[in-house]
Amino acid sequence: MTRIHDLGGSSGAGPIDKSQHEVEDWEHLADAVLVVLDKKGINTIDEHRRAIESLGPERYKKLGYYERWIAATELLLVEKGVFTSEEIDQKAAEFEESWG
Amino acid sequence: MTSARFEPGDHVHVQAESKAGHVRTPDYVRGKTGWIEGVLGEFKNPELLAYGGIGLPEKPLYKVGFHQTDLWDGYVGSADDALYIDLYEHWLEPARKEI
Repeated sequence: MTRIHDLGGSSGAGPIDKSQHEVEDWEHLADAVLVVLDKKGINTIDEHRRAIESLGPERYKKLGYYERWIAATELLLVEKGVFTSEEIDQKAAEFEESWG
Repeated sequence: MTSARFEPGDHVHVQAESKAGHVRTPDYVRGKTGWIEGVLGEFKNPELLAYGGIGLPEKPLYKVGFHQTDLWDGYVGSADDALYIDLYEHWLEPARKEI
């Protein structure tokens, strides 16, 4: 059975969207955080790919490229016991409040 | 240095079955027959690294060639077109049919 990330040759996928866009600050950050976690030996790129693949078809389709990265990073941080989901949700809520 | 089972020119068949978990062998080459284009060395197994393992034993990795016409139904490009992809040895078996 093919999984959602294994798209090569799937029918009805249409042409590849080759349009370019500027990389946003948060996207650079998503990349930087992953590099740091790898350098610190907290998780590997292979684990990160596995986590992206485990997001499930609905979420995978809904999220953009770096949104998947962030979701996978969160999964791994919780899996490794660095943070709990509650701690991450609480911090996110604090940011939302302070940024309006 | 290498315990590679195949050498350039060998015909190989990619396992058709899907495997649970993280793998680096995409669906579109599974069950297909190609040839060894090059032996790339031995590397930690990403199927184990993906779950926090140390990835040993290392697995031989090959550059494997396929005729595009063997991969895609109704391929309209040249019959000489080839696709090259890196595949780990444990996904490959000797191919019987000539390609």
